[in-house]
Amino acid sequence: MKPLLLTVLAAYAVAAIHSILAFVNKRRSAERVALWTLAFGFALHTASLITDWTQYGHYPLFGLRETFSFLAWTLVATYGLVIYRYRAQALGSVTLPLVTILVFIASVARGNSNAQTEAAADLGATWLFPIHTTLLIFAYAAFFVVFIASIMYLLQERELKLKTFSAIFHRLPSLATINNIATMTVGVGWTLLTLGILTGMVWSSSRDNRVWHNDPKEIFAALTWLLYLALILYRASAGWRGRRAAWLGVVGFALVLCTFFGARLLGGYHVFG
Amino acid sequence: MEILAAPPTERFAEGTDRIADFLSRSRAVAHEDFSQHLYSHADDAAVRHVFRVASSLDSMVVGEPQVLGQVRRAYSLAVEAGTAGRVLNRLVHQAFHVAKRVRTETGIAASAVSISYMAVELGRKVFGDLKGRTVLLVGAGEMAELSAKHLISAGVSRVLVTNRTEENARQIAAEFNGEAVEFSRLAACLAEADIVICSTAANQYLITPSIAREALEMRRNRPSFFIDISVPRNIDPEVGRIPNLFVFDIDDLESVIASNIREREREAERAELIVESEVMQFQQSLRTLDIGPTLGALRQKLQDIARAEMMRQRQRLGKLSPEQERAIEALLMSTVNKISHPIINRLKSSYDSGASDDVQSWRDVFGLERDEKE
Repeated sequence: MKPLLLTVLAAYAVAAIHSILAFVNKRRSAERVALWTLAFGFALHTASLITDWTQYGHYPLFGLRETFSFLAWTLVATYGLVIYRYRAQALGSVTLPLVTILVFIASVARGNSNAQTEAAADLGATWLFPIHTTLLIFAYAAFFVVFIASIMYLLQERELKLKTFSAIFHRLPSLATINNIATMTVGVGWTLLTLGILTGMVWSSSRDNRVWHNDPKEIFAALTWLLYLALILYRASAGWRGRRAAWLGVVGFALVLCTFFGARLLGGYHVFG
Repeated sequence: MEILAAPPTERFAEGTDRIADFLSRSRAVAHEDFSQHLYSHADDAAVRHVFRVASSLDSMVVGEPQVLGQVRRAYSLAVEAGTAGRVLNRLVHQAFHVAKRVRTETGIAASAVSISYMAVELGRKVFGDLKGRTVLLVGAGEMAELSAKHLISAGVSRVLVTNRTEENARQIAAEFNGEAVEFSRLAACLAEADIVICSTAANQYLITPSIAREALEMRRNRPSFFIDISVPRNIDPEVGRIPNLFVFDIDDLESVIASNIREREREAERAELIVESEVMQFQQSLRTLDIGPTLGALRQKLQDIARAEMMRQRQRLGKLSPEQERAIEALLMSTVNKISHPIINRLKSSYDSGASDDVQSWRDVFGLERDEKE
């Protein structure tokens, strides 16, 4: 459904531009425009995913095109939740451009080949598979928010320590807010990751009686899981917060990227997403 | 001191003279003694000036809101005395509106420009909301107490006070409804405090890295934030190198203030644009404030139409006697007047009830704006 996706792209682009403007100019009005166009784009995007689902007959999360589109959708959903809870619009000036780029890639990428569509239909037959991929995509989106929050924390903490405030300083949420966002999203992300890995294992064991394939993607995912677990445990037990926790949030996201893209380059059993 | 007056247009010069007379009489000062210090603005410039003053663009430190309070007080006095008429009422209300727009749409008053307010701004930057936070005052001093006052009005709920002399601590604590703590328990206090304001006459470091570390451990690494306004310093700069602790001394605060003032000046440029567009709008709305010109323009317009039509058809009537000419003229004019009479009544009543939109829409219907420009 290209025209629909293009409208979504346009709405996201407008939202992205306005959230950057809001960030630079500190304008409330631009913030409102960004929120409304984002909500509009998100509604259309949801519709577009549903029409894809009914049209192609498989869950719309398979192959490059669909994965990017779906990832963008989850990012918007996650961002919406963060905004709702913390009113930290500054996140949008990074998240929304990324969302726009993802939808752009999705709208120019080739559709799935017939072979892929068949494979998707084959895999999609078991209901566990879409749950597995959806959970993981949401986990990635949550980790992306952790990453952005960590970067913001590091930038702002550095300026507070150096006592020289650049223009960015006045535009970021407080350290406490950023810290809360990171703590909340890392918990949510890790839970989703755990569930995603578990459903993957169950699905794979029912398919070919193997829980673990030693596939690069699985290894990276396990590392990611351990790292975020360490981050959560440290935060909870040792009051380990601030800069070090933020650094771990950044490193963790590098691992997430490896899981998402790197594993694909290294080849292996997992298809994508 | 500034005086706002709305004299009738044709008696403008007389108006300024009378204000000068009033100043001279009421203060018993001779004209010559102050006349070279007078400045006056008229029309656009006057409107712009009032808007800029209310938006605190005209202040020494751009964005400080005290001036707005003064304008408010002066206006309420004028209202009580019944000296604010239609024009001034509207001008001052519009000035309040402009000031609000400037405050919300630009960052002109967003950042602190005084040391005592810096504590609130930096505290917010670290903790977000200050509700439920604890502030510790070590020592006393005007600046420290002022900072504490600002923090309390920003939501800080608990005040701890410690001092070498216990009596002083108790006194200050009573002032803020806080708790006085023995000086020997400084480390325990630090552990409870989110914000620490240090201002003593001690000439060595009171808060050393080891005390600060101990306190940080007790508060399980929750960040805290120190302001050192004492000279010489009471907080070892090394404390600032510990993760999750932030230390600002008086020099740091002053350099932040300097950069905040620069930021305000950048925002002021955007505020000037807002003021400019508001001045234009105000001038337009003033035109509907005085109904006379509108009525005149309306009559003129209708009469012109009648005369123009008459001119076009004149030839067809052939030769007419002067008497007949006058009769036709009278006929035309009375028709025009009969038609415009209800409109003029309506305009007047709209004007009296303050429905300027209504007046404006009649102006639009007859294209009066267009004609005036031509």
